[in-house]
Amino acid sequence: MSCYKKIINRNFFFLIISLSLFLVNNNLFAQDGEALFKANCANCHKPDEDYTGPALKGWSARVPDKEWIYKWVANPAQVIASDAYAKSLFDKWKPTVMTAFPNLKKEEIDAIMKYVDNYKPAEKKDAAAGAAKDDSADNSLLYGILFLILAVVAFILLQVNSNLRKLTDDKEGVYRGEPVPFYRNKTYLMTGILILFALGGYYTINGAINLGRSRGYQPEQPIYYSHKVHAGTNQISCLYCHGGAQDSKHANIPSVNVCMNCHMSIKEYKGDPIVREDGKQVNGTEEIQKLYKYAGWNPETRQYNPDNNKDGIPDGASPIEWVKIHNLPDHVYFNHSQHVKVGKVQCQTCHGNIQEMPEVYQFSDLSMGWCINCHRESKVDFFNTSTGEGNKFYSIYEKFHKDLKDKKMDSVTVEKIGGTECQKCHY
Amino acid sequence: MIILSFSGMKFDSLRRFDKRNIIRRKPINKKDTMKKMVKSAVVFALACFALTSCSDKRKPGSIYVPDMAYSRGYETYAERNSKQFTSNISELGGKIFYNNLPVAGTIKRGCNIDMPYWDTAYHNNETIFPYVLTNDSTGYNLSDTVKNPLSALSDADLKESQRLFNINCAVCHGEKGDAAGPVAGKIGGVANLTQEAYVKMTDGKMFHSITYGKNMMGSYASQLNAKQRWMVVKYIRTLQPAPASDSAKAQTDIKTKTAGNP
Repeated sequence: MSCYKKIINRNFFFLIISLSLFLVNNNLFAQDGEALFKANCANCHKPDEDYTGPALKGWSARVPDKEWIYKWVANPAQVIASDAYAKSLFDKWKPTVMTAFPNLKKEEIDAIMKYVDNYKPAEKKDAAAGAAKDDSADNSLLYGILFLILAVVAFILLQVNSNLRKLTDDKEGVYRGEPVPFYRNKTYLMTGILILFALGGYYTINGAINLGRSRGYQPEQPIYYSHKVHAGTNQISCLYCHGGAQDSKHANIPSVNVCMNCHMSIKEYKGDPIVREDGKQVNGTEEIQKLYKYAGWNPETRQYNPDNNKDGIPDGASPIEWVKIHNLPDHVYFNHSQHVKVGKVQCQTCHGNIQEMPEVYQFSDLSMGWCINCHRESKVDFFNTSTGEGNKFYSIYEKFHKDLKDKKMDSVTVEKIGGTECQKCHY
Repeated sequence: MIILSFSGMKFDSLRRFDKRNIIRRKPINKKDTMKKMVKSAVVFALACFALTSCSDKRKPGSIYVPDMAYSRGYETYAERNSKQFTSNISELGGKIFYNNLPVAGTIKRGCNIDMPYWDTAYHNNETIFPYVLTNDSTGYNLSDTVKNPLSALSDADLKESQRLFNINCAVCHGEKGDAAGPVAGKIGGVANLTQEAYVKMTDGKMFHSITYGKNMMGSYASQLNAKQRWMVVKYIRTLQPAPASDSAKAQTDIKTKTAGNP
């Protein structure tokens, strides 16, 4: 019996291994197709929609035969010259001609085509994320309801308790007076007042502390500009637009010509749908049109409007009046370059994950305590006398160098070099 | 505290205490004072809520002392007084016309810090300070004669020019200069700087193109100053493969100090 079992077990084991190998292999091919597609085609093609070139899905129904694809990929210009279907394609998409890929093998092209045909847009993930979000919202409501029910039950039980006590007292002949209704019961009233007082105090003090700080401030901007699309999806460096952060006090708001560096070419928004805070969908293409109006750019002729009134800017152009979000009071001095260039602080440390914010809000409260905390914790790029690394400016701090050598301290924080002195920021 | 007062013992003793109180000061209109207390507490709490819970995230909120928060002096991005200034040229005369553009011919202060005057290569090359070639085809053709005033880059300068390239150029041209940047596919027609045409392109022409823009590429003069632009040109040379023919000139450009005089 046990012998049979062994055989079955072994066979089963083999079966599983061979099956899994088969599955993995299949997967490998599919992935290969995806990788090849992304490396070679994705710049101009999308599987399911027209882009710089046509959508590739359903190719087999359109092309004359499979050999045609191999020829086309190897040398499109030659096929255009000799083939009617290729000519019609060229007429539709001209003047762009597809780049030739003579190095792609037939199997690789097959893998790409297989990937394209099996391609499904990734929507499920979003739905799942949405469901998860709903769950978390439901939970807090549930806890609230539970708390209320329990409070009411406790209240009723207390009432029952006092009534019962009265009954037993009456039976035993102890006089206790009429029971007081709960709204005149001083214990309840006192507790209620105390709770109100505590809550009131809490909110007043918090409100007073937060006066002048506008954490979470998220004004509506003249153009729905999504940092998530620009800094997140398109991976544009923060300093591309806000180059002032490394040179000056202000991380400047980019001038319109910086926007136009890309938007001379990018006229339409084709990315994932952007949803406004109130649930409305944003039409990215319309927002880009707004930019053209501010810039005085004519997308039809691909030129700036002429400057007929000689004011130095194209006619019809006007500055975009962005709303400044991060405001420090006049009595504080803050310099971006000092932090970004010298301190090498990441933008996200103070501004939050900007690359994930569709609309920017103030992430930190920009309070003095917040500044001081960071100054206490952050280490400066202290000059290392033995290796020569670090900021040479700090070579003048002789005592710290001595202390570091004697192992009296292990690092130098901003506070140690005077980062918490009043005059450093208030003068 | 709430739990304590709800527990039986405390509850009972409090009630007894209540009764004693009532007996002692019966004639005072107790109900009214109680009601007043409750009323004032409720009003107080409501006022607190009203003060704090109305904060609209679309508005910046209030501040203690506006005099200390807002600058009296002129600050960047502060609104200009519309009674004195105008950006509309038709109102010129009555008001000061100002549209944020520097006056024609203005030279940025600190230019000689970017390019120290004792750098003879720079100082002698009048075509660069200020850059006089115009943004047209004659200027573009003439730019071939402009020499890169920078001698070979030091390690620190090379690192800095790489950083500048990665911030400003790599978005389209790719970190390796191979037109594989994240938005290259969206813009289309991005130059692959490692191709022969760009290997052969002179430094001056590259500088001219970065300064004024070329085809669908915009001007980078507002993002990179003259020295930074020349540094970026130097860095692009390090990304390119060695040119196949007549390479000697471009190679020496990178490695040895070039003379400034054309």
